[in-house]
Amino acid sequence: MAHATAHHRRRARSTGISLSNVSHGFGRTTVLEDVSLRVDRGETLALIGPSGTGKTTLLRLVACFEPPVAGDIRFENEDPWSLSTADRLAARRRLGMVFQEPTLFDTTVRRNVSYGLRLRVGWRERLRRWVTRLVDTPSMPAVDEALETVGLTAAAGRPADSLSGGEAQRVAFARALAPNPDFLLLDEPTSDLDPRNTAVIEQAIGTASDDGLGVVIATHDMQQAERVADRVAVLLDGRLIEVGSTDAVFTDPDDRRTRRFITGELIY
Amino acid sequence: MIETVPLLVDAGAVFDASVLFDASVGLVDLPFRPGYIESIIGVSLSVSLTAVALSTLVGLPVALAVGFTEFPGKRLVVALINTGMGLPSVVVGLLVLFAVSNAGPLGSLDLVFTREAMVISQFVLATPVVTGVSLAAVTGVDDGLRDVAHAMGGTRLDVALATISEARSGIATAILAGLGRAISEVGSVLIVGGNIVRADGTSVTRTLTTAIQLEARQGRFEIALLLGGVLVALVLVINGVVLRLGGRRY
Repeated sequence: MAHATAHHRRRARSTGISLSNVSHGFGRTTVLEDVSLRVDRGETLALIGPSGTGKTTLLRLVACFEPPVAGDIRFENEDPWSLSTADRLAARRRLGMVFQEPTLFDTTVRRNVSYGLRLRVGWRERLRRWVTRLVDTPSMPAVDEALETVGLTAAAGRPADSLSGGEAQRVAFARALAPNPDFLLLDEPTSDLDPRNTAVIEQAIGTASDDGLGVVIATHDMQQAERVADRVAVLLDGRLIEVGSTDAVFTDPDDRRTRRFITGELIY
Repeated sequence: MIETVPLLVDAGAVFDASVLFDASVGLVDLPFRPGYIESIIGVSLSVSLTAVALSTLVGLPVALAVGFTEFPGKRLVVALINTGMGLPSVVVGLLVLFAVSNAGPLGSLDLVFTREAMVISQFVLATPVVTGVSLAAVTGVDDGLRDVAHAMGGTRLDVALATISEARSGIATAILAGLGRAISEVGSVLIVGGNIVRADGTSVTRTLTTAIQLEARQGRFEIALLLGGVLVALVLVINGVVLRLGGRRY
């Protein structure tokens, strides 16, 4: 009960992630230019645009891989790069991320999914668990729950390298979900998956959103954006050309280039 | 029937390998005082394992630092590490001897002809090997895994540990390669250790390799071969243990 209350308090405190006039680049190459965007908890935002238009860079900036060259990104009105290392780590730990490639650690499915949870305890507890693991496999309800969400409960004990690509991506999704983050950042999570695994991931996104998580999904699959997103942001050449509700963007986009991109006329 | 296998060992001299199996010489009736073999095995193991443990403590963090960061001169550093893998052991022995001799910078420590000096020379020889092979192992880990460790809320240390965990098989190989370099080494330990035994016949600085060298020089090839077999068996056992630990996945 106490845990539930603390959990609720944490959720209630969460508002959203906002990007204000964010620009970024590598060397002389500009990848993002003057992007302003906001995502709140409980909503799913699809970031659409052609390949190489800056979607991954934007997600990596939000995940604090590096600070933006210009502008700022705020979690609950706090700039993580102005916080102490410990506070920035705490802010980062409110995010979960799934990459396009389902990179898993060379261990079991359960150990992969529990990775984030294991990072969130002190070194003494880590050592205790390491010793305990020599004789026993401790159960972690959050891991079981995350595996159930992606339909892989039975695969918990399997080695990660025995999974198919689709199963591996579902494990990566469960791994991001298990530490109970406030936001999920998904970088084209289904681009290499078959329809069945895609459906499982999309269902899990829906469940996460229903549970109050904010979700940002980068995708170039228009139909997927329509299926899962409440709002859509269109990136083109590093600039945000349109943001709006999914219905509005897909039925009556403001920007002519958005219409051409959605209909497939704008070829990159 | 035992077949006699002649081995050419010197101009005009022939070694009869059958003596190894001959009861009149016997594998049990060795011409040493009790405790001699055990003591040289002990010195070999203690010196080499200590040196390689120190090499790992130094080489692995260096490999992680060089592998994870970009800095001016990185290629030069990698080239130096790789060059260090081929350091001639007698040259290292000479340099360490100079360093620990009375006139050297470590002269006040009085380390000439001690195990500590042998550890230093083996450390110098093994560290580039451990570092270079570890560097290859950690840079071979998929960048995506480091991204995952970071994105899942890992600190720099967590990311490093995740990389070490993924590269554990390659790191185990690095440690083994370093151990191979150290335990099989003759030149430098002979120079800095002196190949000394106590009056009671037990080893002070004599190792398996220097004992083999001594036995061969005295023409006792059967004993040299026997000690060589012990050395190979030791390395096999250590390899098995390290690879078992390094290859353990779950």
